[in-house]
Amino acid sequence: MLALSRKKDESIIINDDIEITVIEVKGDQVKLGITAPKSIPIYRKEVYIQIQQANKDSANSVDAQALNNLFQ
Amino acid sequence: MQIKTKWFGTLEISEDKIITFQKGLIGLDEFKKYTIVYNTEKSEDTTIMWLQSLEDENLALPVMNPELFMEDYDPIVEDALLVSLGDVKTAELIVLVTLTVPSDLSKMTSNLKAPIIINSDNMKACQLIAENEKYIVKYPIYDIIKENAEKGGE
Repeated sequence: MLALSRKKDESIIINDDIEITVIEVKGDQVKLGITAPKSIPIYRKEVYIQIQQANKDSANSVDAQALNNLFQ
Repeated sequence: MQIKTKWFGTLEISEDKIITFQKGLIGLDEFKKYTIVYNTEKSEDTTIMWLQSLEDENLALPVMNPELFMEDYDPIVEDALLVSLGDVKTAELIVLVTLTVPSDLSKMTSNLKAPIIINSDNMKACQLIAENEKYIVKYPIYDIIKENAEKGGE
C-alpha cells in the first residue's frame, strides 16, 4: 500500500480525474472531500463489505422447495 | 440454449433472456451472465424468482420485486452510475432486490440497500448501492410476505 502524509487542505490526485482532499482532522477522525466523475461509484467500505456478505448469504439461501412452502 | 440451474435442473432458455452484469454482483464480480428462473407450476411462486448464474450452476440468488412488500420503494442512485446499462432515458428498467433465506424462514431478509437494476431493452444490468439512509442490507420481510400470501389466498 502506498502511504502518503497529507495536512489539512492538502490533496492527492488519482488517475487525473479523482481528487481527495483532507478537509478536517479532529482527534482520530478525518473528514475527506472527494471530487470524481459521477460515473465512479464511491462507497463507505463497511457498507460495501456488508453488501458483499449479503450477496454471499443470499447465494446460500435454502432451496426453492422450502420457499414454495411459505406460500402454502 | 440449454442451461443448468441450481434448483430446476436443465432448462431451455432463449438468448434474449440472458442478463449481462458488466461488473458482476458486488463481491461476486467474476460472474457476469445470469438469467431469471422460477417455478411456473404455481402462479404465486413468481413472487420469488432466482437470479441464476449461467457460468456456475450452483450460484443462484433469490430475488423479488420490492414493490410486492414495499409499495413506495424508491432507491436513489446517481444517474451516471447507470451508464453501463446503455440509454436508460426511455428504457424500461426492472428493479429487483436479493433475498437471504436461512433455514429458519422467519428470519428471511431482503437487501434494500443494493438493488439490482436491469434494462429490459438490452438486458444489461448492474447492482448499485442506494443512497437512501433508511434502506438496510438485511430488512426482515417474512411477516410481510406471509401476510400478503394469506390475503391473496382468501
